[in-house]
Formats: sequence, structure tokens, C-alpha cells
Amino acid sequence: MVGVDVGGTFIDLMVSGSGHRLLRKTLSDPTDRAGALLAGLELVAEELGLSLREFLQRTDRIIHGSTIATNALLTRGGARTALLTTAGFRDVLNMRRGVRSDLYDPKQAPPDPLIPRQRIHPIAERVNGDGAVLEAVGEESVKQAVAAVRRGGVESVAVGFLFSFANDAHERAVGERLRAALPDVHVSLSSEVLPEVRLYERLSTTAVNAYVTPVLADYLESLERRLADKGFRGRLLVMQSSGGVMGLAPAARFGVRSILSGPAAGPVAGLWYAGLHGVTDAITTDMGGTSFDVCLANRGEVEVTKEMEIAGHRIALPMVAVHTIGAGGGSIVSVDGRGLLRVGPESAGATPGPVCYGRGGTQPTVTDADLLIGYLGAERFWGGRLRLDEEAAQEAFRRQVAGPLGMDVVRAAYGAYQVVNASMVDAIREVSVRRGHDPRRFVLVAAGGAGPIHACAIARELDIGLILVPREASVMCAAGQLLSDLRHDFVKSCVMSLERLDRHTVEEYYRDLCRAAEKALLGEGVPRARIALSCAADVRYVGQFSEVEVPVTGTELTEDAVAGVARDFHRIHEMLNGYSMPEAAAEIVNLRVVGRGLADAAPMPARSGDGGASLTGRRNAFFDDGFIEVPVHDGHRLAAGENVRGPAIVEQETTTVVLSPGFQLACDACGNYLVHPDTHSVQESLERLRRAASASPGST
Amino acid sequence: MIEPRTTMDPILLTVITNRLEGVTREMGAGMLRSSRSPIFAENKDFVTAVFDRRLRLVAQTAYIPVLMGASPFAVKAVSDHFGDDVEPGDVMILNDPYRGNNHAPDISVLKPVFFQGQLRFWVLSRGHHADIGGGGAAGRNPHAATAWEEGLRIPPAKLYRGGVYNRDVWEIILLNVRLRALVEGDLQCQVGACNVGDRALGQMLERYGRESVDRAIDEVLDRSEAQMRERIAVVPDGVYHASRQLDHLLEDGAASRRPAIRLRVQVDGEGLHVDFTGSDPQIPVYYNSSYANTVSSCYIGLFSTIAPDVAVNEGAMRPVSVTAPEGTLVNPREGAPTTQCTVATCATIVEAVWMALSEAMPQRAQAAWARTNAGAGTALNRRTGRPGAFILHFAKGGGGATHGFDGWSHISPVSSMGGSRVPDPELYELTFPHRILQYEYRPDSAGAGEWRGGYGAVFALRFNEEGTALSVQIGSGTEETAPFGLGGGGAAAPGTVRVRGQDGRKVEFHRAAMHHPRAGDVAEIRSAGGGGYGDPCKRPVEAVLDDVAGGLLSPGNARLQYGVVVDPVTGAADIEATRRLREGRRSTEGDSGS
Repeated sequence: MVGVDVGGTFIDLMVSGSGHRLLRKTLSDPTDRAGALLAGLELVAEELGLSLREFLQRTDRIIHGSTIATNALLTRGGARTALLTTAGFRDVLNMRRGVRSDLYDPKQAPPDPLIPRQRIHPIAERVNGDGAVLEAVGEESVKQAVAAVRRGGVESVAVGFLFSFANDAHERAVGERLRAALPDVHVSLSSEVLPEVRLYERLSTTAVNAYVTPVLADYLESLERRLADKGFRGRLLVMQSSGGVMGLAPAARFGVRSILSGPAAGPVAGLWYAGLHGVTDAITTDMGGTSFDVCLANRGEVEVTKEMEIAGHRIALPMVAVHTIGAGGGSIVSVDGRGLLRVGPESAGATPGPVCYGRGGTQPTVTDADLLIGYLGAERFWGGRLRLDEEAAQEAFRRQVAGPLGMDVVRAAYGAYQVVNASMVDAIREVSVRRGHDPRRFVLVAAGGAGPIHACAIARELDIGLILVPREASVMCAAGQLLSDLRHDFVKSCVMSLERLDRHTVEEYYRDLCRAAEKALLGEGVPRARIALSCAADVRYVGQFSEVEVPVTGTELTEDAVAGVARDFHRIHEMLNGYSMPEAAAEIVNLRVVGRGLADAAPMPARSGDGGASLTGRRNAFFDDGFIEVPVHDGHRLAAGENVRGPAIVEQETTTVVLSPGFQLACDACGNYLVHPDTHSVQESLERLRRAASASPGST
Repeated sequence: MIEPRTTMDPILLTVITNRLEGVTREMGAGMLRSSRSPIFAENKDFVTAVFDRRLRLVAQTAYIPVLMGASPFAVKAVSDHFGDDVEPGDVMILNDPYRGNNHAPDISVLKPVFFQGQLRFWVLSRGHHADIGGGGAAGRNPHAATAWEEGLRIPPAKLYRGGVYNRDVWEIILLNVRLRALVEGDLQCQVGACNVGDRALGQMLERYGRESVDRAIDEVLDRSEAQMRERIAVVPDGVYHASRQLDHLLEDGAASRRPAIRLRVQVDGEGLHVDFTGSDPQIPVYYNSSYANTVSSCYIGLFSTIAPDVAVNEGAMRPVSVTAPEGTLVNPREGAPTTQCTVATCATIVEAVWMALSEAMPQRAQAAWARTNAGAGTALNRRTGRPGAFILHFAKGGGGATHGFDGWSHISPVSSMGGSRVPDPELYELTFPHRILQYEYRPDSAGAGEWRGGYGAVFALRFNEEGTALSVQIGSGTEETAPFGLGGGGAAAPGTVRVRGQDGRKVEFHRAAMHHPRAGDVAEIRSAGGGGYGDPCKRPVEAVLDDVAGGLLSPGNARLQYGVVVDPVTGAADIEATRRLREGRRSTEGDSGS
């Protein structure tokens, strides 16, 4: 099995076979991504003593995550797209519900639309909220739209009509006309992409789908062909933003489903590592060069949201609820107009990068701060491949931060460390406290190259008792691809009073959704025994405009089961919002079914560290009051069961773990690190987490 | 750059400042998620804020800026009213515009935050309710000649006393509104937001200690003040005048007139004073602006011109003072109706501030935004079988252009600055017995300019059955009140509202009246665009053609307003004809200027 995460700069690869695991980070090539990936696979094969052909012949599955769709959206490199929409509603997509996020700035340009008005074509037609046809599709308007699409050199068309979630006949009919007239043009129907109430959200999601899908589909087709040429006979699967994987056929039609496919795998992996120790509640963090991603998993379920916006485009599909802030190693440290120290959200990225990289960066960054306070070693960064320039970092901090603040350089650098930690703590609060979860009952999974440098300070601030640093900390998303279930989400809009529920209709809808989910999974080769279906409903008080997702028994709804849904709704509402009103009327808005093809849980091979003498030297590192001379260990030489007591630093090729005073590290049997305050043993910390899980309220 | 003046650890200062802002966001998130009426959750018509024990605004999250600048008055009124009678677990309510609130439909809920037995903070949640009783619908009564006809007046009172539910106060309020369930739910949601703020501030004090927090607040307010003074110092000293009329026509035969707001902005070094002396007297119609609302509107005009990145807090407000003579439109005597002040009158005041500042800083000021065309009313909720309230925020108008930037389309009113959200048309139709026939940009509505204004919108609604009560606010509806352009830019097309009977019969539609449309009637609201900035003949031809190709600008107006000659068949510009036309206009202008 191979997990692949194709990013803008790097491709992360992870191979998992009988008894071995292999990681590789290779450079990506935006002009020939498939070629770069094949080159990476060839390196991996070489390392296993195989030719690429032999290696691919033995590979049963390649699970693929990428930022291709995201980048197409961010850089405006998607298809030339048109929209056909109900006459009279031509601008709903570009009106964006009339909001902007920066309220006061008079000098801000209006958003540049993904689909300009000249490529938005009104179609005469009307369906109402019950699905009844009020006006048939106007032949003349379709003719004109088809002609305009042809004339405009359009590559992809989104079709989104009013109330198409209640009756999709008009969208289908127009879609067929387009396909017949323009066989080379990609067609996205809103009733297929997101059959849910709310017009702007549905249109925006469909427009993004139309925009990114041709780019992704071209890449996947080329990759599939080239892999087959080299002897690959297994299955190529694509990671979705919702945290599951899908086959190639849906991936090539619904590109928007994989828009967050890179970061979505991280939390799945985090949960899996926690599971090795019997822990089901994890806050997974990933601190890379430009951003800090955090996501919460409660009782073994990664949190999923429908509230995402990417590059200002609303995407209302379920996605792993990764909360991202601009805080990474490359985040720029500055002093603002009020004389306050600021970190990010601007980033020096990989180029020019931090000042200490010596690649032209001039603005001090978090990585520069980490170097100045002794957390990073100048000599051993990235396995010694990049020597860090401490003097340049010092000079930049003096001029741009320490001077204006009237502090010395080290204090200012430590200040930047504390400020970025505070932002990350706030981000963790956002996904925990603000959603009604106590962070103390979660393990903090610290991944990404920069994550474990900051983890102890964050854990202390939030009173979190256990940190887990995975062995694959720097390529966790690639690891996550291997661990993800095949997953398909199906939804049916159905507005119905909970008190007067038509159980038979609802059962019938759920049966339809379950059949569709099963069909999709069987089509992807999942054996029936490994298919799991779960049903849920979005419920709210009448008059409310946000729903709460409540688990439902689905295809067999007894009266008791309906009563249970109501009870759960009030309970979850209370937990999320601090109050509930059990006497008030409630209603169902959407019915949901998630179909999963369960992944084979590949066991983690045991650690084969060489045991002896991990201590490689000592250096000064700054903690709270001043510099302390601390031991530095080579992480690759720590053996299973070995302990390191803080203050200390553990270095690996792509990760550094900083152990603050009062913390201890234990290397587990597989080479992951468990870091905890030395007031408790590892076993006590784990026990506390397991006990808290069994005592906590149900999942949300 | 501001020199550090104290020994306060700058790191701790940053952490505490960010945390205080984080608390207001946590409070707001709870309200967005759990409110019962669409006005909070879908329109985001609310604010949350933290005040210190000296009643200074410390941090805020404002979806609707006009509610924010007015909030310090509410905290002060509640604190003055209760004096020492404030204890842990209290939750207070207030809505009276003559007791520190802005207007009656925005109910303020406040909670004192105690730490170790001492009052340390106040938290506030203020939002627009679906019903406030009285003679109107959705909190708006166009017939009201006094505050008593507008709805329930709630003085400072306790919803909870020492943590105990104060049933009497709740019952008095809920008995006096028609939409009891909505009002009760939304009040609970505001109490919840205050509880969230209370808890989070307690944790913060626990973590950093009382003294550090106090010092951080003093420090950050001082720094915001210094920052604001720097911004004001950049404005050339002087006195700048402006006058704008309300849209409302006071009918008096030959003496009919639109009341005017007159102001002068006086800039003196690092201080700025707005003086409304000379504004027209208060009127017996709901456009009078409470003093709190007037001050808040001035802040919007200032922040959006010279200080978009300055934190809105007490410190930033120190260098700004406002004089508004009692008995005028901008500071009425107790009893005058005020409901429209947060939208219509706020927009009029902000326009006047911008117009005055445009004289001082032509490159910073904005051309006028559309005042909003919005309806509000009640109709049968199809899903509950009970009456429900709606606000027709669909037809947002255009924003004004500035030097260097086009205005935003479909973004007004200025009281929300783009913070309020339009309802979803599908959820709307599923709820109310109306059908939306049209909801899109309004072509030819933007003010022309080198940078054009934003486009307004057209919203047409058909009433499927009887039973709807509706009032409509028409903004920027006349030549005099249409959004003005700056620096040679054109004014935008005025807003209009009309009703067609099913049979084509014309229906009289008066702005100051409650309407009861018949089944089949269609109301059509067309909002104004935003004003343009700079000479339209300098706008690049491609940008003009883009609007023509999208159907937003007619070829006729491309020629008339921009001097661009478009071939009606190909859509291409006739470059030579365009050049001649534009040059001809320049020389005409040159002549008239000499």
C-alpha cells in the first residue's frame, strides 16, 4: 500500500507492507506532477531493491491526497467556467449574500468573481419548494445558453437551479442537452454536487466543482495511464476533504470533494496513533511552514463541518473541520502600529523563507526565533543539509523587533515564541472550548516539522496531560492516506416537523440514500462485509437557522427511535450552545447517510532503534527566566521504552522535540514519543484519558 | 511607530489583548449558532463586547458597527441605574433609546463579571429582535408618532438577580410581544452569550492575575488613543461643512420639505469635533436619531475614512467629540420615535461626515453608499402555522467608490458596512407565503467614475395569499438623496419601490404606511447603486466594456456616462469614435473651467 500527499513544494510518500514502513519526501514539480510522483516512487522502489515495475506490480493500492484542486482555486488556474441558473437569479453566486469580512477599509477591491456575469446564463424555468414544476424549461433560453457556451470557449459548465434539491428534473434535462451539444465540456449539476437547501451555498459549491474538476480529472487520468504503463494493476484511490477516500470515477466528476484532501488526512492519522494507546479523543495539530492546522476527534470520530470557505469561496460540503491559522515556522514577526508584537499571518513561506535559511529572507520569522532561543540547532537542521545562519537571524530581530520594542534580542525572540504559542492555544480553544469540549480530556497529537518545538508550551497553557509525537510527524498526511476509510456522503433535503414526522417517507429516503452509498462502495470493490452505513439528521428548533447533526437509526424508525432523536437533539444543543428549550417545536432539515468501506488497519512495525547512546551533545536553550544548558539527543537512536527527562531537546531529521523543564518523553514500542508532565507517569496519563472518554457525554 | 512608554511586558500585553478580542468572538459564535430568529443567525444583526469596570469599551466583535459605537451608553446607563445593587449572577436588560440604547428593537443584555468578589468587567450582547410589541410589524411601526407607539420601552432591569430567573420581568416583556417564542429564544441566546463571556473572562483573570489584566487594558487603550491621534493629525486642520437630507418628505402643502442634517467637522491638531448645530428639529416620524446612535454614526464615518485598522475601543474614541443640540433630529427629546435611526438616519449622518472629510482628504473619502431599500413585516409562517417576522434585506444597494477602487455591489447599508447577511431565498420561500420573482443586480444603477460605484439590486416579491403586513423603507430615493459621487464621479440612480396589482392595477405605496397586499400583488424594490469617483472618461475602455458585456451597463449609458462608443452587435468598442468623444468632453470641460 502506498500513501501519497502531493503538495505544492514537496511530495510525501509512505509505503506500508508486511512488517515495514518507508517514508520519503521528494520535490514536487508543478509542471509535471505525475512525472514527479513516478520519480518519487522509483526512489522508494530502489530503496527496497526493486525496479519501479516490480514495485508497482506488488502494490495493491495507492491512496492519493493532493493540493491540486486547492491550488487551482487559490491561483485561479482552473477551467474556464460558465453557470446556467434560474432566470431572475443571475447574480446570486456573485452577490455572496452581501457580506465582506473587512468592514471599515475603504481601499479594498470588490472580489474578482470565479464566473463573471457574461458567462452566467439565465434559463427560463421554475420549480417550487415542494418540487412542483411552476414553469417548464424554456427551449429558447437553453438554445441561447448552449450557443453562448460554445462561443465563449468554455471548458466547464455549472448548472444550478432554484429548489433543484427538491426536483432535479430541470437540471438533468439541461445537463443532457449540454452533454449532447458539447461532448468535451465538463458538466456539474448542483443537484448532484450538493442536493441541499440554500441557493448561494449550493451554487458556490457547484461553481467551485466545475472550476477545479477538469484540472484534477486530467491529472488523475494521466497518472492512472502512466502508472498502468509501468505495471500498476492495483486500485488508485483519492482522499476526500471529508476524511474518507473515494474511487477514481467520482473523483474525476466531483473535484470539489477533494479540495482539502491533503490536510484532511492528518486528523485521521492522529486518531489512529492515539488509538495505538487505546485513546479515542485527540486534538491533532500540524505546524508547517506557513500554517497551523488543528482538528478535534471526539470518541473516535474526526469532527466534520459544512461551514468551510476556501480563498473566499463558500464550499458547503462536509469537510474535516480543520481550523487553520497563519502561524507556522515561516510566519513573520513584526511590531504593529500600536507597538505590539505581532506574529503572522503573513509568511515568508519556503522562498525566500526565514532569514536564517540564507536564501534571501529579510524579515524575521518564528523559525529564526526558535533558532535564537536554542530550540533549533544551527548545525543539524534537516539532517545537517541546511546550515542555519544565526548571526543574520540575530541582526534581523535586533533591527525589526527587539529595537522597536526596547528589549534585548533573546527576550524578543522568546516573546515571538510565546505570542505564536498563544495564537495556537487560541486556535485549539476554538475547536474545543468553543464547541463545548474540555481540552484536558484529549491527547495533543503534535505533527508537522515545527509542531513538537511548541507542543510542551501549548500543553502547559491548556493543562493538557499528554502529548503524542508520531514517528511520521513530518509526513503525517501521507500516513493518514493509508489509514482512511473509503467514504461517501449522501444527503437529502427534507424539511419536516419532528413532532409530526412521516416515518415511512423518511425511512424510504434513508433506504434510497443507503442503496446509493452501498452501490458506490461495491462499485469501488469494497466487499459487502466491510461496508458500514450510518444515518444522521440535521435538526433545529423551528425558526432557527443553524442545525445540529443528530445520529438516527435510519431505515427502521420506530416511535421510540424518533423520541430518541428528539432527546439527543435537545441534549446536544444544550452542550453546544449552553441552553435547550425542550418544549419548543423542532424540525428535521436534511437526512444524511455516510457510507464507509473500512480500511484494513495495517499494524505499525516495531521500533528498531540502536538503543545505545542517543546523547549527541549539549546546548543552551531559553526557558522562562534564562538560558539553561540542556542535553541534545538523536531521536533516531532512542530505543523503545527509553525515557528522556526535560529540559532537553530531541532531534530527528525533519522534526525537533523541545522538552520544557517539568516534562518527560517516553519512546513507545513503535518509535512514537509520549510526552507528559513529570507529575504523572505515562501510564497514569493514559489511564486518565481513557477514563475521561468513558465518562464523557456522547459524540456530536 | 509609537514609543513604548511603560515597563509592561509587551508579550503579556499582546497575549491579553488578543484574548479579550477572542472572548467577544466566542460570545458571538454562540449567538450565530443558536439564535431563533433569522435576524441574528442569518443577518448577523448583533454585536458582542467587553467593558472594564470603569465602563470603558475594551474589545468588541461588530457585525453591525452602528450598534457598537452606541454600546458604551447602554453600559453606563445600566451601571448608573443600579449603582451598588449589582451582584454576581445578575443579568440586565435595556432597550429604551432615552436610557442609553440606540433604538427599541435592538435589545441590550448585559452581565457584570465578578472575580474574587469584585466587579471586574461588563459583557454585552445587543441584537435586533423580531418583535418588540407596539403597533408595528417586526419592530417597525411607520405610523408611530411617539416612542410609545413604537413598542415596549424597557428601562434597565434584571432578567436574573443573583443567578435567579426574574420571572416578573420576563413575563412583562413576553406578554407584550406577538412573537413570544422568537423573542424568548433570542433573549435566552443573548443571556447564553453573556455567560460565555463571563466564564472566559474569569479564566483569563485566573490565568494572568488582576493587576496584569488591568495594566494591559490601560496600556492598550492609551495606545489606541495615540494611534487615533496620529491619524487625525494627518487630516489638515480646518472646519469642513456638509448637509444631507433624509428621504422622508414632511408633507405640508407648498412648504413640504425633507428634513436635513447639517454638520461641521472641526479638525484641530490631534482632536476632531463633530458639531450638528443647525440640524433640523426632531419630527413625529421614526427617523429621529438617539444621541448614542448619532455618536456611533460619526465613528463609522471616521473609522471608514482615516482609521480602518485602528481597534474600535474607548481609547480610540477619546480624541473625538460630538455636539448634538437637544430637540433636533440627531438628539431628540424623550418621546420622539426612533426606529429608523440605525439604518436611514445613520446612513444620512455617515454620508455627511464623508462629504465633509472629502474636502479635507479627497483621496481617502468615499462616495456615498446606497441607503437601504428594505421591507419588514409579518406573515403566516407556512411551517409553524403561526405568524412570523421577516426583514427584506435582499435588495442591498451599491457601495461608493474611492480613489483607486470601485465600490462593492449589493453591500449596503453603511450601518453594517457589509457585516449583515442577506437571507437565503429558498429558506425564505419555504417559510413565508411569498414567491421571489427576481433577485439580481440592477443594471445601470452604479454611479459612473474612473472608479465606478457598486451596483444595486432588484428584488421582486409576489404575495401568494392575503395576510401579510408590510412596511417598506425607501432609501436614496430622490435626486437630492441619491448617493453622490466625488472628484468628478457621478451620482448613482435613486432607489425605487412600486407595487403592481395582479390585474395590472397600480397600487399606491406610501413609505410611511403599513401595507396589506392582496394575493397576486407584486412588490418590486430597486435599490440605488453607489456613487462613482473621478472622471468617468478616464475609466479604461476594457473596464467599461466588461460591464456592457455582462449586461450591467447599457450601450447607451456607456456612451452617455463614459464616452465609450459600443457596437451594439459585436459588443466591441469603436476606438476611434470613443477617442473623439472623450477628447471632445475634455476640451469642453477645459473651456468651462477657464
